[in-house]
Amino acid sequence: MIQARFPIVARDELAPGTVLLRLRAPALARAARAGQFVHVRCGDSHDPLLRRPISLHRVGVAGADRGGLQPDEVALLLQVVGRGSAWLAQRRLGDELDVLGPLGRGFRPEPKAGHLLLVGGGLGVAPLVMLADEAVRAGLAVTLAMGTRTAAGVFPARLLPEEVEYAVATEDGSLGQKGLVTDLLPALLPWSDQVFACGPWPMLRALRRLLQLTPAKRAQVSLEERMGCGVGVCYGCVVETRHGRRRVCHDGPVFNLDDVVL
Amino acid sequence: MILPPNLSVELAPNHKQGLPLRNPVLTASGTFGYGTEYAALADCQRLGAIICKGTTLEPREGNPQPRLHETAAGLLNSIGLQNIGVRAVVAEKARIWAGWQVPVLVNIAGETVDEFARLAETLDGVPGVAGVEVNISCPNVDAGYVAFGARPETAAAVTRAVVQATDLPVMVKLSPNAPDVVEVARAVEAAGAHSLSLINTILGMAIDLRRRRPVFARATAGLSGPAVKPIALRLVYEVAQAVRVPVVGIGGIATTEDALEFLMAGATAVQVGTASFANPRAAADVVDGLAAFLLREGLQDIHDIIGVALPGRVPEGGLT
Repeated sequence: MIQARFPIVARDELAPGTVLLRLRAPALARAARAGQFVHVRCGDSHDPLLRRPISLHRVGVAGADRGGLQPDEVALLLQVVGRGSAWLAQRRLGDELDVLGPLGRGFRPEPKAGHLLLVGGGLGVAPLVMLADEAVRAGLAVTLAMGTRTAAGVFPARLLPEEVEYAVATEDGSLGQKGLVTDLLPALLPWSDQVFACGPWPMLRALRRLLQLTPAKRAQVSLEERMGCGVGVCYGCVVETRHGRRRVCHDGPVFNLDDVVL
Repeated sequence: MILPPNLSVELAPNHKQGLPLRNPVLTASGTFGYGTEYAALADCQRLGAIICKGTTLEPREGNPQPRLHETAAGLLNSIGLQNIGVRAVVAEKARIWAGWQVPVLVNIAGETVDEFARLAETLDGVPGVAGVEVNISCPNVDAGYVAFGARPETAAAVTRAVVQATDLPVMVKLSPNAPDVVEVARAVEAAGAHSLSLINTILGMAIDLRRRRPVFARATAGLSGPAVKPIALRLVYEVAQAVRVPVVGIGGIATTEDALEFLMAGATAVQVGTASFANPRAAADVVDGLAAFLLREGLQDIHDIIGVALPGRVPEGGLT
């Protein structure tokens, strides 16, 4: 875990209110694992008071194409939902962000899994792209299923490693299949060895219902909750699990889907 | 030759071993875990002391979500004392603390006077435990917890039971939600507390406009952060004039300047709380800042500023 200020070296507005920031952050890039997050300060004053947790979206690696990311760079994908994210989205090139991380327990692919199915709802795609990067580099087959309301929210296919099979659903049918991301899954699940998901609670519930039909299929989900400290001391971000209330920041954010009380 | 200024303070002058700290900066309960979580980041051995997460006899699950709500320069929390329980603290955490330079105080919370006594008894003589902070002021749970801090008689009863149950130094953490905080402070001192810390969080609330209901299931929650600092400072100033035991100031302290205000208002030491969430090094920064302030002002000892703003004291070195 480190706390440091890292400069913004690229800023790209993928859609209105959705911003991709690239930081030059060598120490963070070396330590980061897919599924972990950073806790970012949103201002220099006491208001807003708390840092905001942001998924690690991507890390640059020499010799691998990761959407144009240079080695030592870390990408964060964020959406404006409140004061903190609005402040972050307004940062410009050269501004520095005060970052604490990498934090939490990331995705844990099973050694024998050869084909990973990643399921993203809306901005939930952010941490899955880093998992896709790492899995492709490890020689695994990766399918990414993504769902959003409209085409504007779909993660651009051009930014994904070309080895990734990409399936898209939009609620209005403006891109890909019309419907929810979980509508794509019956066709994709049989081929996958392990499922990784991030998205809203209704999506996770639907995913669990689908997986109950194929009990051998294991799934890990990345959860979100309001956070205070980000390191496990304040107990602000707990979720209900079969083993009691667990901290998203410290025991997660990635949990076994079976363990989560949805 | 300029000697580094002396920052050391004594937080239990009436206790046989005392509670000497190398500097007057502590971390507040519930905001620094067990000291281990931030170890990689902030050099916690440089702090005056660490106060661990509020600890009960049995492990507690705490309250359901929502637990946190950010307000203007403040934070409402309703955690509900989720913690691993005193046996795990003794078995897993105290062993680590025993190898540390920095003293660790265990914050204890009970539902009855007897529970407080049993907690103190359990921690008595445990290597790695330097003292207890008695939490008679958590606003986020039912039963006895907050009621003890509301009245002088009950606060004194808890204090007496704890002091009798342990040879450790006893700090009692006061609630700002008591009708008369100064009366509670006097009663707790008379019951044998070696020091007082204040304030715990102030009861507040927020409304969810969409649901048209309070944000929190219990409706109220505890407010902390810079928003509460002026209130905390006023209470420390009043209590410091009413008691002779050391007073430890808590409430919205994020910077050296905040800490200096509390020290000048009569606090012998301060606790950094919510500020650690945004800046895990906040407490360590205050240690450095206090030393730098004394050097700059040509003062040799932190006691040269403790209480200088109290009525009847003639400020040394200050502008008149």
